[in-house]
Amino acid sequence: MLMYVNYLTMRNALFNLLNVVKMNIATFFSIKVCILFICIIQLSSLGLKAQDHTVNGMVTDNLGLPVEGVNVTIKNSTNGTITNVKGAYSIKVSRDGVIIFSNSGYLSKEVGVNNKNSLNVQLIADLRSLDQVVVVGYGTRKKSDLTGAVASISAKDFKDQPVYRIDQALQGRAAGVQVVNNSGVPGGDVNIRIRGSNSILGNNNPLYIIDGFIGGDFNNLNPADVESIEVLKDASSTAIYGSRGANGVILITTKKGSSRKNSIDFTSRFANSTVLKKFDLLNAGDFATVVNERNTALGLAPSFTTSQISDYYAKGGTNWQNEIFRTAPAQEYQLSISGGSDKTTYLISGNYLDEKGVINNSGFKRYSIRSNINSTITDKLKVALNFSGARRINTNTSGTQGKSGPLTQALAWAPTTPVKDADGNYITNDPIGSIFANPVALAYEQDNTNVATNANVVARGNYEFIKGLSLDVTLGADYQNIQGASFAGPSVTNNIPNANRSSGEYLNIQNTNTLNYMHNFNKVHNLNITAVFENQSLTFNGFNANANKLIFSNLGYNNLSLAAANGATAGYSKSTIVSYLGRVNYSYKDKYLITGSLRQDGSSKFQGNNKYSLFPSAAVAWKLSEENFIKSTSLFDLLKIRASYGLTGSQAINPYSTLATYLTDPYNAATSFNSSSVTSGFVIGNAANSNLKWETTSAMDVGIDMEMMHGKLRFSADYYNKTTSDLLLSQPLPTYLGGGSITKNVGEINNKGWDFALSATPISSKSGFTWTSTFNVSLLQNNIVSLGGQDLLFTGSNVGSGLSTQPEFVLKTGNSLGAYWGLKYLGTWKSSESAAAATYGAKPGDSKYEDINNDKAINGSDYQIIGNGLPKTSLGWDNTFQYKGFSINVFIQSLNGYDKLNYTYGSAITANADARQATSTDIQNRYIVGKNETSDIPAFSASNKNVIQSTRFLEKGDFIRIKNVNLSYELPKNLIKKASVKLFIGAINLFTITKYKGIDPESSTTSSSNDSVQSIDYGSYPNAKRFIAGFTIKL
Amino acid sequence: MKKILVILIATSLFSCKKSLTEDPKGQISGENALNTLNGLNAALVGAYKPLSNTWTSGFATAALDATLMGSDDLTTHPGSNKQEFRDLDQFSVSNLNSRIFQIWSGSYKSIQGANNIINNYQLVTTNPNEVKQILGEAYFLRAFNYYWLVRLWGDIPMIKTAAYTPELSKILKSSPAEIYKLIEEDLMQAETLLGNTKLALGRASKGSAKALLADVYLTEGGWPLKNTSKIALAASKAKEVMDNKALYGFDITTPLSTLWGGTSAAVGTPEEVFALQFCPNCNWFNSNAIYGNSCMSSDENGWDDYFSEINFFNNFPEGLRKDITFQTVIKGLPWQNSTTGHPYFGKFRVNGGETTWQTAQSLPLIRYAHVLLIYAEAKARSGSLDASAYSAVNAIRTRAGLPNLSGLSDADFATAVVKERSWEFAGEWTRWFDLTRLEMVESANAGKNSKDLPIIGPIKYYVPIPASEVALNPNLK
Repeated sequence: MLMYVNYLTMRNALFNLLNVVKMNIATFFSIKVCILFICIIQLSSLGLKAQDHTVNGMVTDNLGLPVEGVNVTIKNSTNGTITNVKGAYSIKVSRDGVIIFSNSGYLSKEVGVNNKNSLNVQLIADLRSLDQVVVVGYGTRKKSDLTGAVASISAKDFKDQPVYRIDQALQGRAAGVQVVNNSGVPGGDVNIRIRGSNSILGNNNPLYIIDGFIGGDFNNLNPADVESIEVLKDASSTAIYGSRGANGVILITTKKGSSRKNSIDFTSRFANSTVLKKFDLLNAGDFATVVNERNTALGLAPSFTTSQISDYYAKGGTNWQNEIFRTAPAQEYQLSISGGSDKTTYLISGNYLDEKGVINNSGFKRYSIRSNINSTITDKLKVALNFSGARRINTNTSGTQGKSGPLTQALAWAPTTPVKDADGNYITNDPIGSIFANPVALAYEQDNTNVATNANVVARGNYEFIKGLSLDVTLGADYQNIQGASFAGPSVTNNIPNANRSSGEYLNIQNTNTLNYMHNFNKVHNLNITAVFENQSLTFNGFNANANKLIFSNLGYNNLSLAAANGATAGYSKSTIVSYLGRVNYSYKDKYLITGSLRQDGSSKFQGNNKYSLFPSAAVAWKLSEENFIKSTSLFDLLKIRASYGLTGSQAINPYSTLATYLTDPYNAATSFNSSSVTSGFVIGNAANSNLKWETTSAMDVGIDMEMMHGKLRFSADYYNKTTSDLLLSQPLPTYLGGGSITKNVGEINNKGWDFALSATPISSKSGFTWTSTFNVSLLQNNIVSLGGQDLLFTGSNVGSGLSTQPEFVLKTGNSLGAYWGLKYLGTWKSSESAAAATYGAKPGDSKYEDINNDKAINGSDYQIIGNGLPKTSLGWDNTFQYKGFSINVFIQSLNGYDKLNYTYGSAITANADARQATSTDIQNRYIVGKNETSDIPAFSASNKNVIQSTRFLEKGDFIRIKNVNLSYELPKNLIKKASVKLFIGAINLFTITKYKGIDPESSTTSSSNDSVQSIDYGSYPNAKRFIAGFTIKL
Repeated sequence: MKKILVILIATSLFSCKKSLTEDPKGQISGENALNTLNGLNAALVGAYKPLSNTWTSGFATAALDATLMGSDDLTTHPGSNKQEFRDLDQFSVSNLNSRIFQIWSGSYKSIQGANNIINNYQLVTTNPNEVKQILGEAYFLRAFNYYWLVRLWGDIPMIKTAAYTPELSKILKSSPAEIYKLIEEDLMQAETLLGNTKLALGRASKGSAKALLADVYLTEGGWPLKNTSKIALAASKAKEVMDNKALYGFDITTPLSTLWGGTSAAVGTPEEVFALQFCPNCNWFNSNAIYGNSCMSSDENGWDDYFSEINFFNNFPEGLRKDITFQTVIKGLPWQNSTTGHPYFGKFRVNGGETTWQTAQSLPLIRYAHVLLIYAEAKARSGSLDASAYSAVNAIRTRAGLPNLSGLSDADFATAVVKERSWEFAGEWTRWFDLTRLEMVESANAGKNSKDLPIIGPIKYYVPIPASEVALNPNLK
């Protein structure tokens, strides 16, 4: 298999990869057959070494529940067995023998046979984590020996929560990690940040490493395959990833089969989702009344007659929100089969997920398969092959937000306008409300489907030359093919239906060679040296074809040739990175630990000497709990203080960013010189800067780790301070210079803060009731230290396209990322202020804004920073209560200290962009001369100016949310013979406490790849409330 | 196995050095893009594009009407989503207005493309005739755009290079006199370099350049330069176009109902001296969105973006042209009974009132009628009123169904031509500039009908430079 993959690296070709995949599948099945034989041989060999006495029994935990997979061995012998799902075992042993029961997570127990035929054993949970081994970059370490800040999450931590994607397992479980579902659409965007945002131009997504493969896509991962997740937070842990480590690293390790234990797991989940809440909108009668009131106020003829209005009151109108939202079902099926022998283990798993979105005609499907094989070929040589394949289908999960999304339009279309006409066709022109397309047609007559097919192979060989010296060679290939297909029908395109197909493939190839030396000198000096050579390349190839004015719109994107016009584009990019790195771990008497590492990266994205950079790091730790003066108190299982410092980097730019390139796409450059065709051309793109270099983040971290009461209480605290310099900034260029931007290395940004993690088992009673609880707090302070001599820099953000005219976000020294730019709204001009209002051309009842320079005009010079969208605190509190077979998980999440600019509400209460009327019920409480002169909702007036980009629509986003509640019940073992069955019901996003007026404080119109835009909401796809039921059968 | 591992590492070590060099396949970069005739041609196409990038930049949406709404022929809805339109109609526009920004950005992006050709055309040493034509069109475009910019904003940055240098982002504004000097120079280059006929309907020819230059001269004779010596040049330049109208392929289109029929028959008429062309069937962003929905009443599913001021309509001479220019019956009711109580522009409706914003109608920014009326006015203002001036204006009046003018003094004739221009080009991006160059903005806005939006004021002849530009270069304040 190694050879197959190496062959692939040489040929770089898709078809070869597909062949490899096929061969791997074939190989896998042949191996599986081998494994079966091995199992049979092993079982029979056990039988040969017969002992004279048989002992049967049950192994249970302190709750009395059976423990599966316990190693039952005979002392001073190699013989043994393991317990089945019922916790039962049977072993032949001499009458005076001693049986050892051991299992990870439990304290081992030795029991003498003493002539007994039956031995029931209760194991006590080992809550200490001292010997737990965690994965770190290019190796593993004992958790208690870590010198850096690493958060570790194991599959056990989230086994009682329905996890559809791996970010749900991360959310709130690791201090310093913030997970925000900025889109509630199934399979949608999620924003994951480790200790804040370091980069303004680049994305701040952590680096994902899945089984050693750098840059894996967690969207392709089946959460049920995950064994553990390690989050590397400080520079000493991440500097080993050099130019890609600045945003933190998430290491994901997938499950392996267990030797001598064959098991089959099947889980099925069913769910129903509904939108969290809806806006209060005017009914048709009230709407028509308000429209007429507006017309009267503006001197216009009424739009509705009195009989029409009474008709609307009697018969009602269209509830556009009900037309676009639905109760959305979801289903998931998960099967995994695993097992193995002493030499070889296997795991094969398959998963199918089908989630519908709460907005009609949106949804996500995922098919995934995995096979992990590990084999010890000789004492010295071990090989492993992990293969995974996934296919993800997203339908209408993008393009659903903003001005032209169904949600925004549902708030803009008049309730007096029906969905369809008498012939059953969509009404395409709302005579009174929006000028944009019918929201229901936007949902149903648009199909934007992306099919991503992914194959990932990681092959690995490890050879031990002499004891302590080993070489590990990893070859990995990740192939992702994305097929896009979109169609917009006649009702949403002015009868010019169009369709588009796109095809793109990404090939990511990696080779990592790790030489490792471990030795213990004189039993006090422990040395571990790692040297790595690694290279990786990422190639993209794609093309796109579109058709406009389809002749047969019912053929959609399946026929592009029958159209009035066609267009095509193609693209290619490639980037390469070559790295050398080394690391030394040294410890003295297991008390004093030192780690030092150095990495050099070379990247094709930069020019000349800027291609290469060095990333060093160092860390020290002191295990106080190994010192006699602490040991003698018996207070601590572990007490460790640690400190680290290091440099990491970020490339932050796309390939070819140092070159001046032209824009050649039709949107920017194709011109029509007659009414039947376009001529292609090019326009100047962004200005070039060939001197670009990496961003460098220097980070320090001090922390303390504690474990007490045999692991019943654990606490970690970290303080960090990171500064990113040579910040890559995209400086907008004036439009009189053709616009666009130039990228420069200027500026500095600082992130500092605290991470606290507390986990405890407050109750663990003999009656069988336990309560375990973990609590995380992350406090973050982000500060822009410098912008290369400028005080203020505009971002290019244009979230409210059509609604607002200025970038919503600015960067300003001394402020954090996510600063909102806008006017300060002072309420309405009151009747006593009519003279002052007149100086602004306004009347009482019109909007009043702060006029900073007092020039009696409200314009760009009155804009200021009005708030901030970057959350400062995030909290996670996870609780599990267990009693007998029952288990209840309650997980609470909270984000605090941020503002949301609520464009969604703004567009529902003002006439703006495409909306010509207010639809929110709040408009009934507006300022009305002589009737309601206290309201701060402006009157209907020709001189009123609504500026949506103002504090009028700025709200606190803070929320506390019950993210997950799950109740599971494991059926008593005597009910079903050979299987263990667990039933569960639960809810996601059950309850939210917030003052935010929009649908969901968590979702926003942002992208996880751009952190200068934060928390703003313009028809963003809200998260859903989901009820789930399901079961697990384990054989 | 050991050997295999060693070989693997060895091969990967050797294969890496070279791979750190970028090979930007499929990308066009640097000045080399312009070193072939095809490259130069593609750059020229790109220089036209920003004039008509629907909803983003240029002249093809009602942003153009919004920008010129201070004139007496245009107004908008008092409520609804028309705040940015109203601000201009009522002279209380702020520098945040996104509509004026579309004109600003479209013109400057087009200037950048033209500069790129003017700076680099020498890279192509073959095909001198083709290169001359491309260069001539580039000069035409640069002049055309600066002419729009200087009339709307006055003092503006003058950019003559396409390459970015940091100093340019701190540049000071140039005065209208300096800008007009460049415009004249560019148009003189263009009229020499260009061929007689357009290579395609949407492109510029020798005749287009001369017509534009005539317009520029006439404007230079008024506010703010008030260089009256240019007026005679306006007449003689217009005459060059009229004398060669067969050669250039220009003429007035009769009957008027063809010109404003809103069908494909109105596209590519000889009346188009310089006209943008559109293909909505090709892409939505190649649509002419200033016609169609924008000019229609919401009572018939239109957008109410712009319509006629009431006094302008009332003072419009009755006849064929008035009937074609306006739509006075809206959904079966007289305009007074429509929701907004205003007459709408019938001339911009397409296909008999189709509710669409994606129209394929061409957008004439200079018509042959302009040439005739520039000639007539310039003759009178330069003291050389003669029969040829009468026949120029009377050609337009005849087509409009009006009697000929005769026996007027120079001043009365000039005034009559200015009125003629307001009717002939009603709603057509001409009236505002007539009002400014003749300093008539105040008088035209005096005594507005009470049903029209009142002036908040103060009246200004220029619109503000967009706030985002001032923020990036405070020297533009």
